[in-house]
Amino acid sequence: MSLVRAELRKLLGLPTAWVGLALGTLIAPVVVLLNAPYTRRAIAAGTLSDTSDLGLRDLGIGLIGPMVLGVIVVSSEYTSTGQDAPGARQLTATLAAVPDRLRLLLAKTTALVLVVAAQAAVTAAATLTLTQVLHGEHAAAPAPGRVAAAILYWTLTALLAYAITLITRNGIVPLTLLIINSSVVSVSYLLTKVTDLAAYLPDIAGTQMFLRSGDFPVEIAPVTAGLVMIAWVVALLAVGAVLFHRRDV
Amino acid sequence: MNTAHAELRKLLTLPSLRLTALLTWTANLVLTYAYRAAESGGEPLGDNVALVPLGYTQAGFLVLGVLAVASEYQEGGQIRTTLLAMPRRLPLQAAKAVALAALTLPVAAATATTSTVSAGEATSTPAATGYLTLTTLLGAAVASVVRRAVPAVILLLALYFIAGPLLRAWSATSAAYLPDTAALEPSRGAAATIIWTLSVLTLAAFTFHRRDA
Repeated sequence: MSLVRAELRKLLGLPTAWVGLALGTLIAPVVVLLNAPYTRRAIAAGTLSDTSDLGLRDLGIGLIGPMVLGVIVVSSEYTSTGQDAPGARQLTATLAAVPDRLRLLLAKTTALVLVVAAQAAVTAAATLTLTQVLHGEHAAAPAPGRVAAAILYWTLTALLAYAITLITRNGIVPLTLLIINSSVVSVSYLLTKVTDLAAYLPDIAGTQMFLRSGDFPVEIAPVTAGLVMIAWVVALLAVGAVLFHRRDV
Repeated sequence: MNTAHAELRKLLTLPSLRLTALLTWTANLVLTYAYRAAESGGEPLGDNVALVPLGYTQAGFLVLGVLAVASEYQEGGQIRTTLLAMPRRLPLQAAKAVALAALTLPVAAATATTSTVSAGEATSTPAATGYLTLTTLLGAAVASVVRRAVPAVILLLALYFIAGPLLRAWSATSAAYLPDTAALEPSRGAAATIIWTLSVLTLAAFTFHRRDA
């Protein structure tokens, strides 16, 4: 328990973590607010007939927050602590305090999950409340199960970023990959045009946990979609944990 | 000339730059292939098909610029040794930009060629090469202000891949003034790209001149 608290304090002490927290929490509600006139016109004109995903769809754009958090919770351990001590990394101090690496990983994972789940809950609440206030008469509030699925999707995305960083030990590769892929037209979505198998990539499958009206080549049921994404995260985390256990600092 | 030569040798010996260039080029090949496959499958992909894969792989060039500059500020503080050898900061900054451009140009040309020639639009290769080189310089300039690689990468990628597309969707007129406009519309975007790069480079030179190392 004290390990988790220590990891939480380390994570929340990073300035970059606050960038991730602020970006992730603010982007989605701001987008809903900015898009409100356009959405209203689209509903009035009838071009947006399926409003069941309203609000939930905008949550995807805030994913940069969990991605940043998932990456830096690992990468901060590997950056040098000071210009005058190039060899010193925080990880050496961390491992001196907690030599059991798997317990350390467990504590880190727990801390990350707590922070991201809290952030996702706040963001989802803000975004959906705003959607209800702005378009309440046209869009019914989504079922609690779908909101929970969206929060789960955020958490799993953070864990995905975390697992990739455990493998690469450097934040830039996973950040680049994941941020490009969370762009408006993602690379994974593009790949679904090439092969239907791409529908089982974590981000495409994951969104089907809570989105209904997507342009997906393969429809996956919400529960199956969740299991597919969890399988990705577990597989990558297992590789990351084995490497972290075996590799030298 | 000596300084530019020295800077070029520093860049050439950085393993992270080689890796970034290699990954970028490979990713571009894969994306171009995916686009060709999707195109022959009859998917509507819009205009400027040759440039869309480059729209994604420009991230690699941003990272290239960031890593080139941030390496000076990493562990050990190489920048202080550099300044000891070359105390005049503005000529140093210029030499750094020249060296980075010289290093990027062949990588950009190779990446641009794979995308454009396979789409049958070989005429846009020089423009795309120039765009990617300028993008690298812009990334380098931003990193020179931020000085740390991960925050600089977050900032640049968030602007290029999240704020940019959002602004474009929200207001079509703002789209013509974003730095990556040329990646989508070469005719209108050239001026925007050049002006953005030059202004950030100027800002970087100014802060480098004024700040402690």
